[in-house]
Amino acid sequence: MAQERFADVVERFTLGFAADAPAETIRQWQEELERSVRRLRNLHGLATNPVEPKTGQTPRVEIYKRNKSRLYRYESARTHRTPVLFVPNLGISRPYIFDLLPGGSFIEHMTKQGFDFYLLDWGVFGPEDNDLSVEECVTKILPRMARKVLETSETDELSVLGYCMGAPVSASFVASHPEIPVKNFINMAGPIDFAKVGLFGLWLNRENFNVDRFVDTLGSVPADMVKAGFKLLKPTMDLSTNLNLWWNLWNDKYLEGFQALNKWANEYVAFPGEFFRQWVRDFYQDNKLYRGELVMGGRPIKLERITCPIFVVGAREDYIAPPECVRALLEKVGSREKEYIELPGGHISLIAGRGAAVHCWPKVSSWLAPRS
Amino acid sequence: MMADGPGPSQLFEQWRKQFEEGAQAWSRLITQTTAAPSVTPDPTAFWRPVLDQGVQTWAKLFAQTPATPELITQWKQFLDQWIEAWSKVLGQAMGTEQFAKMMGQSLDQMLVAAAPAKKAMDQQIEQALQALNLPSRSQLTAVAKQLVELEDRIDRLEESLSAKLRRLSEREPR
Repeated sequence: MAQERFADVVERFTLGFAADAPAETIRQWQEELERSVRRLRNLHGLATNPVEPKTGQTPRVEIYKRNKSRLYRYESARTHRTPVLFVPNLGISRPYIFDLLPGGSFIEHMTKQGFDFYLLDWGVFGPEDNDLSVEECVTKILPRMARKVLETSETDELSVLGYCMGAPVSASFVASHPEIPVKNFINMAGPIDFAKVGLFGLWLNRENFNVDRFVDTLGSVPADMVKAGFKLLKPTMDLSTNLNLWWNLWNDKYLEGFQALNKWANEYVAFPGEFFRQWVRDFYQDNKLYRGELVMGGRPIKLERITCPIFVVGAREDYIAPPECVRALLEKVGSREKEYIELPGGHISLIAGRGAAVHCWPKVSSWLAPRS
Repeated sequence: MMADGPGPSQLFEQWRKQFEEGAQAWSRLITQTTAAPSVTPDPTAFWRPVLDQGVQTWAKLFAQTPATPELITQWKQFLDQWIEAWSKVLGQAMGTEQFAKMMGQSLDQMLVAAAPAKKAMDQQIEQALQALNLPSRSQLTAVAKQLVELEDRIDRLEESLSAKLRRLSEREPR
């Protein structure tokens, strides 16, 4: 036979494996077999008796609500005077990713470090919120939330921490509200220069995307459409997630984390129509924040008016807000004290997960602590 | 049982050839479907290092006897690299102006087609609910909007009241 059959290769290989295997190799294969059994057992459990993961377990109190938005204060043994207002993204996903599981929670870390920590949960929007705009968030909601933080923490100053879309929105607020005393500002994975924002920037540019037609027809951006947009950004994500799940399925701790993360990753939130229109037009298409052309509530928004200490954190593999568009904040602010760090990970793994606990959280808390 | 002849290395060579042909077909598909892009994507460039590494790893593993569970780890790494290679190829294709244009056009067509259908559907549902003496979604939305506005007014009153109280307490003699 001129050519060897694949079956022959396999047979030769398996015979070779079985022959003269040392005890150590046999032990390793036994371990592998045990893992496979555990994989199958956990897979059976996942399919027949899925457990609802308990997310967001850090104790908190709702101190203010406005329509769908809520302001939560987390319990902490407060050792730093200056409170922290955490402003995450609006729409897209729920904020319990920042307090996913005990031992794997950014919020838990910050409270353990002695920060008086507040989370702004923008909420889940319905058709009645379609008129909510970025302008309203910047000029009405954020100032009110900041005042409530100052009131309940009984302090004169606060730190603002913006993540993802929450960073440019809160930067707009800080730049246009000098009457609110912001002591420190942190931008985590928040796009600032939208000319460098990657695939979303290309897909949403004026030539390719008619935002008016979109909002006028649909009224809002439905959660399913938000999901489709993010899935398209990384089409192989589900494949690698499932492969990694199978690989680590024997590990109960991994499975617990996966279930919590998977719950979050499949819970998309719709965008209010007017918010999306202004977000796409002013930020993505016209890059007005970076150019200093944004005006909200009659106030011009100039990033150079931000003069407090600034800390910017970019993620090396972030394809939603690439590091160069996040870093751009440093070029624009008027602060004398400013620092940028680039950490391993993507947009989410920068702030959530085991890597974040090692690389990111301690850096954020140790930068903020002496300034609080 | 087993014939003499080409061994695993030849098998992998065939495998590599198939992969490269597949990638080339993908490249041809891209250039045909997009209207003459200025820079032709070359997905094969992403395959080559992945394939080389995969072939070397597997040839090495086949040479090992007895095999250890490391073999499975290598297989996982190979799959990871394969997925990553596809991810890069897709990312490159989706990062072209042609893809963005095509997606924008598809979305526009969908919206143009959806708008009258949605309007007609909304009207019909509204009429049906009216006939049943039930409130429609737009009516409920209008009520919810009024509630939001009321909440906003209360907030503003609360703020101005607390500001006035603050000023008053500052003026009071101690």
